[in-house]
Amino acid sequence: MTYEHLVVERHGPVGWLINNRPDVRNAMNNAMRDEFAEAWTELDRDPAVRVIVHTGNGRDFQTGVDMGEIASDGVGMERYRRSMEDFDVHFTSWHQGVWKPVITAVNGICCGGGFHWVADSDIVIAASDAQFFDPHTSVGQVVAIEAIGLMKKMPVEAVMRMALLGKYERMGAERAYELGMISEIVDPPGRLRERAQELAETVARNSPAAMAATKKALWGALETGLTDACRQGARHLVSMWGHPDQTEGPAAFAERRDPDWQPL
Amino acid sequence: MSYETLEVRTDAPVGWLVFDRPDAGNAIDARMFVELEAAWAGLERDPSVEAIVNTGNGHSFQTGLDVKQLATDREALRASSRRTRDFALRMTSWHCGVTKPVIAAVNGTCAGGGLHFVADADIVIAADCASFLDPHVSVGQASAFETIGLLKKVPMESVSRMALMGSHERLSAERARQIGIVSEVVDAAGLRDRARELAVIIAEQDPARLRAMKKAMWHALEAP
Repeated sequence: MTYEHLVVERHGPVGWLINNRPDVRNAMNNAMRDEFAEAWTELDRDPAVRVIVHTGNGRDFQTGVDMGEIASDGVGMERYRRSMEDFDVHFTSWHQGVWKPVITAVNGICCGGGFHWVADSDIVIAASDAQFFDPHTSVGQVVAIEAIGLMKKMPVEAVMRMALLGKYERMGAERAYELGMISEIVDPPGRLRERAQELAETVARNSPAAMAATKKALWGALETGLTDACRQGARHLVSMWGHPDQTEGPAAFAERRDPDWQPL
Repeated sequence: MSYETLEVRTDAPVGWLVFDRPDAGNAIDARMFVELEAAWAGLERDPSVEAIVNTGNGHSFQTGLDVKQLATDREALRASSRRTRDFALRMTSWHCGVTKPVIAAVNGTCAGGGLHFVADADIVIAADCASFLDPHVSVGQASAFETIGLLKKVPMESVSRMALMGSHERLSAERARQIGIVSEVVDAAGLRDRARELAVIIAEQDPARLRAMKKAMWHALEAP
């Protein structure tokens, strides 16, 4: 598939999904929204891709929905509203049920709807000049889905503060790191992609099936309480029993070689 | 009961549960599997114990199941598999329904199943040389219980990163403190003294009130 608003690349075992509307700070129009659904699925199904990195072209990572275009393209606004009301959305890896590890590499500004991809990925790193803010309330809109996703994963006060202060305050990479919203700051910012590739190649050394089962257990845990989450987690643990990777892992370790994992 | 794989002591008002297989990274073999349940129950029953400190002898805190040893003991392997499948584990204070406050004092490497004891303690402190990692996916296994326990308590990204990096990255004691996996990092030589100090402070509180509080707070983690 060819994409107009995204760039999809492969580098070794790493699939790259790159926001590519740099002139509008990678804001998402309807066409881009459809392309996201396609691109996540394409990379998830490609057996050569073991880990996916998501970042943006140009100065900024992502700045939410391109309201101007969605409001003016005729059918766009109505379709957008309906999909949100029904929470029938398909633009993040979580929406699309991607069980390969996803690393978000935040370059520059991530604001508003851009938080969807921070909330919905497994590992988040950011360039040292990255900035985070949520302008929804400053333009008369409600923020819900992406802020709810973040609240489940990090200290709530910081998320509420961003939601309530709107465009009048920005959070830097350093504070995002302190709060555990991101796990690494890359400096200089120009090294961001190199570091993301390196990190992804490291993750790609692990068993694809074990990582998929782990992701299911962890993301499932956000849906329920502790004991229930562990009971359901047990199903994912047990799903690896008898899998060839469970004997390959210890064998490779004993023989001091890289494991030869089964593709997903 | 006499223990082979644990050191269990009463040092009123503190009870000590110390992993004691230092040559095996304190990994849980078939014997420790059984002894852990007995040790938690014994300390819970002991009226002179008001708070429990859990730490390890040697360089490691705890490195999870000793898979190699378990593989040689079919009955133990079957029992541990069944308890995993049914989530009926009896390894940590939380599994065993301990109502007294538990302080984990992480003295070194805490890997894989060792994270159970961090996730399931009430207070966690660490030596400056401690490190945290979850090698499951690097040996072809899924990670679930211990990382689920952690993600209910600390920012999730750090947990999913640890689970997906496997044996290829360690979280330092300092970063663990920043994100709230531990609340205090101390000089390794002073770890046990500091853990005891905290336990003694806690032991000054009314035990019934402590029990009620602990129950209420852990119960809150059961809400979706």
